[in-house]
Amino acid sequence: MLVLTWLCAGIAAAMLAIIVIYVIQRGGPALNLAFFTHLPTPVGVPGGGAANAIVGSLVIITMASAIAIPIGVLAGIYLALLGRGFLAQAVRFFSDVLTGVPSIAIGVFAYTIVVVPQKHFSANAAAVALSIIMLPIIVRTTEEAVKLVNPAIREGALALGVDAWKAIVLVTVPCARAGIVTGALLGLARVAGESAPLLFTAFGSQFWTLQPGAPTAALPLLVFQYAIAPYKDWQLVAWGGALTLILLVFLLNITARLLFPAKLPR
Amino acid sequence: MNRQRLIILGAALGALFGAAAIAAADMQITGAGSSFDNPFFQRAFYEYSRSVSGVQVNYQSIGSGGGIQQFTAKTVDFGASDVPLQPAEMKAAQASGGDVVQFPVTLGGVAVAYNVPNVNTGVKLSPDVLAGIMLGDITNWNDAQIARLNPGVPFPNLPIVVVHRADGSGTTYIFTDYLTKVSAQWKTKVGNAKVVNWPAASSVGAKGNEGVAGQIRNTPGAIGYVELAYVLQNQISYAQLRNASGQFVAPTLQTVRNAAAKKPNVNPKDFSIVNMPGAGSYPICGYSWVMLWKNQPDQSKGKSLVGLFRWLVTDGQTFAVRVNYVSLPSNVQAQAAKALASIRT
Repeated sequence: MLVLTWLCAGIAAAMLAIIVIYVIQRGGPALNLAFFTHLPTPVGVPGGGAANAIVGSLVIITMASAIAIPIGVLAGIYLALLGRGFLAQAVRFFSDVLTGVPSIAIGVFAYTIVVVPQKHFSANAAAVALSIIMLPIIVRTTEEAVKLVNPAIREGALALGVDAWKAIVLVTVPCARAGIVTGALLGLARVAGESAPLLFTAFGSQFWTLQPGAPTAALPLLVFQYAIAPYKDWQLVAWGGALTLILLVFLLNITARLLFPAKLPR
Repeated sequence: MNRQRLIILGAALGALFGAAAIAAADMQITGAGSSFDNPFFQRAFYEYSRSVSGVQVNYQSIGSGGGIQQFTAKTVDFGASDVPLQPAEMKAAQASGGDVVQFPVTLGGVAVAYNVPNVNTGVKLSPDVLAGIMLGDITNWNDAQIARLNPGVPFPNLPIVVVHRADGSGTTYIFTDYLTKVSAQWKTKVGNAKVVNWPAASSVGAKGNEGVAGQIRNTPGAIGYVELAYVLQNQISYAQLRNASGQFVAPTLQTVRNAAAKKPNVNPKDFSIVNMPGAGSYPICGYSWVMLWKNQPDQSKGKSLVGLFRWLVTDGQTFAVRVNYVSLPSNVQAQAAKALASIRT
């Protein structure tokens, strides 16, 4: 039995390793300077890159985080410390259900409420869709992280006469910040590779379309489009795009860990 | 410490959006639709933004059905479809944005592509046999009816897999238009539309001409229909078809041109050029159409759109041949220019 659990644990870990190694093998050759600096070229014109898709993805993820992280963190704090009774139960229930809503449905929703009234596809619409997907993950992780903080610490602050909100913002939240950052990162990693909602919102582009109100290129869209195409050079770029996505999520992870270390500064 | 971090974060975000602002173009036009057109459009629009004008055209190959839908929803500036708007679609579009101007932008052939190991390109198929395969009556490559048309070709014992479009597709419309004209059984059982129920038991759907071409390439035994440029660019084998004059003809730029020449005048109500007579005519061809609003909502964008398509249907046609499309015949160019002149900006 023990051996079996070991084996299964090994399989679980090996999956990540296998995927990463395979993607590096296939996508590695695509990553050159042109890939990161040039715009895509049409079939038959050599030397294209994916620069607009990389920047487009970063812009969309940043905007989605700007919407989802503040709302998600505050809602999580509310659930952990303040929420009682029916309302809190309802919020918990709805965010759990929201986690399970297929991302494509959220994409159609964003298409209907943002793209159709605005009459154009846009990075804004993509950010709205992705932020909805991020939200429940951030809410529930923040709640768990804040709950883990020993209430005695906050009570100590309150006993010293600190305002309730100050005790939360200055005492409890800093203690829980590693967990909160983890929640935000989980949300980010979850949406960075989403392609289905982007089909209805960001739409894709062959150019630098960096006004948030215009159709925008994104890495998952590029991978989707290029991977199903019959052209060998496009398929190579698709592998390169997949590898870049993985690297991007790793990089965001590491940067966030460096900027917000788990231990409190002295 | 905290302030430092904030500064780093702020600088990174600033750089990101700063780069964005600098790179923004003077005019961007968004279009969507036909994947039949896509290799030609990508190439022509790429050249247009580089050497003709600063206008950038973002075209997404989402299929003719999707193009019509997004055009009607006014989420794109122009739509492209291999079939002009059908009466119901026209009604919906007119309700949304008034009159629609439609004009042909390119001419192409639909190749019957296949993947049979050790069988070269150029397998001969008659209309009956092709319809039989698509109907699911002929299910194996070693079928006697295929062998009879191709003496000496070593067909393996390999089940046939029909690859078709999963999305609303003008290419499907052109292909089923042909089958409807050559097979009474197809006409009654399946018919002609952008989306049909594929009767063959062993069939798979794929997204876009891109997806169908990719699927055929990866599936031994597969047969399907894709725009000619896709098979020529990807070294996929394709069939010679017996045309209305009884000749076996392979799809080439010349045989497509021959077929189109048999019907010099096309318009949005009378556009079909499949099964044309003539010894050198390839039987499955079609024009692809662009839709624009007659009354452009945005004056400067309207002017850019008219300028773009005036170029595309004339000088831009030189790029058609380079990516294996047929350039529009001069009389069709003139018709397109006339349609464009009716647009009010």
